[in-house]
Amino acid sequence: MHRRLLTLLLLCVCAGKLFAQDLDNIQIHGFATQGFLYSSTNNYLSANTSAGSFQWTDGAVSLSDSLSDKLRVGIQLHMYQLGDFGGPNIQVDWASGDYKVNDHLGFRAGKFKTPFGLFNDSQDVDAVHLWALLPQSIYPTDNKSFTLSQLGGEVYGSLRLGKKAGALVYRGFAGYRPMDLNGGYVKQIDLALAGIDQAIGQPTTLVTSAPGGKTYGGDVRWQTPLKGFLVGSSVFVEALSGSAGPVAFRLAPNAVTQQYAQFERGKFYVAAEMKRQPVNFSAIAGPVVIPYPLDWRSWYVMTSYRVAEKFQVGTYYSHYVDAGSGNDTSLSQNYSKDWTISGRYDFNSYFYGKLEEHFVHGTSLGYYADSNPNGLQPRSNILAAKIGFSF
Amino acid sequence: MNKSFLPILFFGFVLSAAAANAQEAVVIANSGVKTAEVSSDDLRDVFTGAKSSLKDGSRVTPVTLKAGAGHDAFLKKYVGKSDSAFRAGWRSLVFTGQAAMPKTFDSEAALLDYVASTPGAIGYVSKGAANDKVKTLAVK
Repeated sequence: MHRRLLTLLLLCVCAGKLFAQDLDNIQIHGFATQGFLYSSTNNYLSANTSAGSFQWTDGAVSLSDSLSDKLRVGIQLHMYQLGDFGGPNIQVDWASGDYKVNDHLGFRAGKFKTPFGLFNDSQDVDAVHLWALLPQSIYPTDNKSFTLSQLGGEVYGSLRLGKKAGALVYRGFAGYRPMDLNGGYVKQIDLALAGIDQAIGQPTTLVTSAPGGKTYGGDVRWQTPLKGFLVGSSVFVEALSGSAGPVAFRLAPNAVTQQYAQFERGKFYVAAEMKRQPVNFSAIAGPVVIPYPLDWRSWYVMTSYRVAEKFQVGTYYSHYVDAGSGNDTSLSQNYSKDWTISGRYDFNSYFYGKLEEHFVHGTSLGYYADSNPNGLQPRSNILAAKIGFSF
Repeated sequence: MNKSFLPILFFGFVLSAAAANAQEAVVIANSGVKTAEVSSDDLRDVFTGAKSSLKDGSRVTPVTLKAGAGHDAFLKKYVGKSDSAFRAGWRSLVFTGQAAMPKTFDSEAALLDYVASTPGAIGYVSKGAANDKVKTLAVK
């Protein structure tokens, strides 16, 4: 596994020596990051973080070619390892053909990044963010491989509304989204089904084929006449079905909604998002149907300031509550509140480093029972450090 | 004021004016681009990857300098971003499969040659560096 990670990293470094060579219209770009996580109490994101963990590596290489003024094709290969997540397989991050008729209308087909909120499609591109970890209430790192992209088609475009009315940017999509067998949701499903197996007295079974389901939705953002101020809204309708041995599970189609705003002026940046995700999940074992109604409510507010051309600092507060039926939201296992302070230094155009401290209260996000066999403390401080390379 | 300081002040003024002039960017495009002017909104949209055509319908492809005072001045005046934020924006587009990175050039001469020979290319050079092989666009 580490050999393959090293191969990808070497590929990044070797390609980097080409400094993003542009052979006519062919472009090669890539990035690689290595992170370190240390937590004061609980083990975070399935890694042994209470002892300090370097099990946090990301890398990607993209290749694209403009076949004409209007047609562009490309592919991006991605590999990640975070605790138990990710692993040996190089994944296709996106691979699409893009036909842009004009600025108002374009089509993209294949595997494409899902536009949802401010950062969903770029949450794995560490080089573009100040943060080592984006607000986990809305962008949970352990599940990013599931939420990042989908197979299908997308329509996109923009429309300037006039000098005094700003511009609209819109995207609509439909497709199919498979779950990553090495991601956080499958681990959560495995742990939940193990409980059911135990209750009905059968051997534990695991999810062995990727669950998936149809999706559709869209994103509209308004670049307001106030320079740098943007507001937007996304909706995503998802369904899911899968099985683990004799136990089947499904997610009835439900709409996830997200609203957001950001303001950027010079060295100053502020953004906020809120998301509502009702989850109609149920497990089916023979004639027995066990519903797991969930209602995830998340929001965050962040701000940052570029102190110098190479140095940026910021802070955010991220809030998450699982308000599913019967949940006592005052219990620490049903919420997660995270104050974060962060700094980033760009050594040059290619290399950067990040240092971040999280003050986490609540255990509803990012913790797994099997990596915390002695139970969870309601509070934990987490140090995240990263170095990265991008070209 | 002591008269002996006047020539020094004058010389300093001339030098700083020359430096400011060198950092003032003019927008240039391939001569095949139909329009002779571009709005500041269009210019920002083209150089942030939000648009790929101008109001008259001309399809354009942005090109930039790799670094330097002229590059920074252009970004600050017309794009409203620092170089780091500008690069981050384009990386976000490239790594999400939405756009190709603009070509970059080490020198104004190389950028001028490329714009002169590439249909649809749009870029910038310092005032006085533009030549008659490219079209200079007025920013409205």
